[in-house]
Amino acid sequence: MNGPHTYTDGHQPARRTFLKQIASLFAVPFAVSPIAACNTSTDNRHITGSMAGANAATGHLLRTGNFPAATKTLDTEILIVGGGATGLSAKRWLEQHGQNNVLLLELDKQPGGNSVAGANSVSAYPWGAHYMTLPDTTNTDLISFLRSAGIITSFDSNGLPVYNEYYLCHDPEERLYINGHWQEGLVPRFGTGSTDRLQTERFLKETERLKHAVGNDGQPCFAIPLDTSSADEEYRRLDNITFDQYLTENGYTSRYLRWYLEYCCKDDYGSTLHQTSAWAGLHYFASRKGRAANALSSAVLTWPEGNAFLINALKHQAPDNVRTNMLVHNLELTAGGVLVQCYNAASRSCTTIRARKVLLCTPQYITKRIVGTLQYPASAPSYAPWVVANVTLDRFPASSGFPLCWDNVIYGQESVGYVNARHQNLGHLPGSVVTYYLPVTGDDTLASRRSIRELPYTHWRDRVVQDLEFAHPGIRHRITNIDVWIWGHGMVRPSPGYIWSNARQAARQPIDNRVFFAHTDLSGISVFEEAFFQGVEAAKKILQTS
Amino acid sequence: MDRTAADSGLRRDQNILLFSVFAIATCGLVYELVAGTLASYLMGDSVTQFSTIIGTYLFSMGVGSWLSRYIEDHLLRWFILIEVLVGVVGGCSAPLLFLLFEHIASFRIILYSLVGITGILVGLEIPILMRILKANLAFKELVARVFTFDYIGALIASLIFPLVLVPYLGLIRASLLFGIINVSIAGLLLYRFDEAKPFRRSFSVTIVASVMLLLVAFVYADRIMTFSETLAFQDRVIFAKNTPYQRIVLTRNNRELRLFLNGNLQFSSADEYRYHEALVHPALHSLPHAQKVLILGGGDGLAAREILKYPNIDSITLVDLDPAMTRFFSSNTMLRRLNHDALLSPKLHVVNSDAFNWVKNSHDSFDLVVIDFPDPANYSIGKLYSSAFYEELHHILRERGIIVVQSTSPYVARKSYWCIAHTLQASGFITVPYHAYVPSFGEWGYIMAMEQYTWRTDNPLPTGLRYISNATIKDMLYFPPDMSELPTGINKLNNQALVNYFEDEWAPYIH
Repeated sequence: MNGPHTYTDGHQPARRTFLKQIASLFAVPFAVSPIAACNTSTDNRHITGSMAGANAATGHLLRTGNFPAATKTLDTEILIVGGGATGLSAKRWLEQHGQNNVLLLELDKQPGGNSVAGANSVSAYPWGAHYMTLPDTTNTDLISFLRSAGIITSFDSNGLPVYNEYYLCHDPEERLYINGHWQEGLVPRFGTGSTDRLQTERFLKETERLKHAVGNDGQPCFAIPLDTSSADEEYRRLDNITFDQYLTENGYTSRYLRWYLEYCCKDDYGSTLHQTSAWAGLHYFASRKGRAANALSSAVLTWPEGNAFLINALKHQAPDNVRTNMLVHNLELTAGGVLVQCYNAASRSCTTIRARKVLLCTPQYITKRIVGTLQYPASAPSYAPWVVANVTLDRFPASSGFPLCWDNVIYGQESVGYVNARHQNLGHLPGSVVTYYLPVTGDDTLASRRSIRELPYTHWRDRVVQDLEFAHPGIRHRITNIDVWIWGHGMVRPSPGYIWSNARQAARQPIDNRVFFAHTDLSGISVFEEAFFQGVEAAKKILQTS
Repeated sequence: MDRTAADSGLRRDQNILLFSVFAIATCGLVYELVAGTLASYLMGDSVTQFSTIIGTYLFSMGVGSWLSRYIEDHLLRWFILIEVLVGVVGGCSAPLLFLLFEHIASFRIILYSLVGITGILVGLEIPILMRILKANLAFKELVARVFTFDYIGALIASLIFPLVLVPYLGLIRASLLFGIINVSIAGLLLYRFDEAKPFRRSFSVTIVASVMLLLVAFVYADRIMTFSETLAFQDRVIFAKNTPYQRIVLTRNNRELRLFLNGNLQFSSADEYRYHEALVHPALHSLPHAQKVLILGGGDGLAAREILKYPNIDSITLVDLDPAMTRFFSSNTMLRRLNHDALLSPKLHVVNSDAFNWVKNSHDSFDLVVIDFPDPANYSIGKLYSSAFYEELHHILRERGIIVVQSTSPYVARKSYWCIAHTLQASGFITVPYHAYVPSFGEWGYIMAMEQYTWRTDNPLPTGLRYISNATIKDMLYFPPDMSELPTGINKLNNQALVNYFEDEWAPYIH
């Protein structure tokens, strides 16, 4: 959390609530209508909380570029810039393959990128990425990491991984609030018509076929990591049209089905049907081919703290030489390697680092500002802003229909719903924390980014309460705290034409075999598997060129 | 002031006073009936309860009447003050008795003290009132009118109490409502009599505060006991409490006490011995050298009571999530009589913690583990029947140790029952399924689980058992065709197969 300030609204909520209760006592005998006029903002005053967010202030120093002169010099063989899943995966790989002179610099107070987590007395909770799908058994690097982290406990006689059951998402997994009722599963069924069901079936059948489809080069058409997908033009051309166009061309008109597909795009990519390429939209359904001895291929791995669990496992396996609060602001090639300038936001001093090789695991909008005079062909993808809120409740209210699940979605809302952070807990404690996710999908991302940063805490608090109240009337009285995190650049969007563009390929090419690049925005899909792959591939290239 | 005006003023004053005789008579009898009903609800045996309550009440009224001779002057002031006190004490008696029932060991002392105080105050009222009216009425008239209104009030009370108050308001709200009426009468007198002027201001504050108190209690009475809930149970609800984990409800009739958690019957005192003997003895009699026992769930102390019948047991750890449960069953006299003070035994150690994490983090080991969780009716309880949970039991089970699991009804929920057995097998245990007939539950199932088959059926049993004998044990092992084994899935955290079976199978039984 970044310098939280507690919001009090200048009043004493406790006393007000008390007076209100007393007043309501006298109103009870005379109350004719149960519908009390309620002003949202005043009704939410009992809720405490604050704004949190990634360290945008330090990052924005890059724009002004005024840094003091360096007072120290450091030497390292390899410097990694950026401590998200990509950077940490690269560091682990390098150290496990004999390279032990690696230094990692992270801008924030803690590594993790968008897999950071928080915790309070009720539960740990994610601030961003919070689950991972089961990887394909051919993804051996990732499988061996999961084995070493205890996420896979063994392999059965067929060689299929046995997953730690504490980490497989417990049942029940998903529910949807639709037509005034909570139904099991996210595909709209309750109150939908036969056309909707037929089209949904047809779509799911088609994606099931695509799951097993192989291109003319013998590669699977849709794979994770996505770079291992087939180059067959028949499939790749789908990247040039929007998912919306694809659906229209194929006669998918059901509004329920289209809502569901848009929900999926927003959930994984932060983008609408118009903003997502058809290839990426189909990839969501056709790429999940993980197999396990003790779970279905649709299973997911999750933890109360979300993917911070994976981050900690990566850190645990390569624990040394990670420095935080470090902003890299310039680099230049020298005879022996790379000269890197960095600013320590805590001590407000600068250090020069002499590295033989540098791996930039930063998003491209940062990368292009720190490469200095080097010619870097940034591919300029679009990034989805996100608003994430962690909502603490003293008790989760009972609801009509299917009971509380891990993932709880409300049909028709802009938000993609909320995740129960305590779902994987084994004990039975009274309180709960749910993580509410809102992708900001305006087409003008610059304007939306600016506007979400300007809106005050009370706006987001009331927005979250209002969205939850829709499916849980009266839930506001159970909410004790809401903290809000604004992600200006939450995740890369697989916009039409991006994934299979030459620009993406160009932006990944190392410069002079000394400066390397890895990030999920160089893949186009922001998931842990892609980050891990990006980091490991870059590490392999670095080792090959030594 | 001319004479006719003074006369009508006097008549009006008289009428107000006589009306208050009527009102306080009604209130007084309502308090008495509330106390009597409550005592027979909470302690059973209505004949004894009613006659001792009525006796105490009438005697206290006598004491009150006698005490009235010490009140010399300021009669109206005294009368108003007593009215307020009767209203507050009488009005709050029912909620207080319900609230204190779980905490107080000597519940009777509180009960009779409240009845006594109310009686004394009510006893003071009529003599003082008669002395106030004495100035305006001839003695003959006075006695006739006062007692007429007194008895009419009593008649009204005895009619509306069973016909209106109990069925429509419940005991707590009835008692509070009459408290409010009582205090309001005091307010009426305060404003209608000029003599009250000097103390009107200070008394007004007291009266407003008292009405507020009673009104708050009236509005929040549902927090003590949801009235609608009392209608949902067949018997009288004598205790109900929302804890952060569950709703505990205790009901009683002339024959038995019943405990409900979240509306599900946990035991009936009439036949719980069958359930608990069957839960404990088949396993424990086969472990003559057992010393340490773990009970998971079972906060009622009834399984512990059976375990304490074995002198070789020197330590019982009882892990129950809800401190309110274990507190209730270790402090309330009636419940302590039922569990033979098992929760107060020096051999027993209560841990209020969730069982899954406790077992997962425990470094202790046990000869017997008794698992007495509620039925797997929801997903959070379903986790406590999962293979992941059973696998954790290996590290706390001593060599040759036995686990016994209450496993719902193999007759009603056949798939659920065998799913538990198969899940235990998949988690590396040898299982011995058995069942017993418990009249209030029906046919009920248990499963013993062990790492090697070391179980014996012929060791000696403690004396004094009412259901289990060596022959009963052999009987319980046989499953007739309508309950016999059938194939099921394994209950895992990521499929919760059991909760789904359980829901399907019990659904037809839930109205």
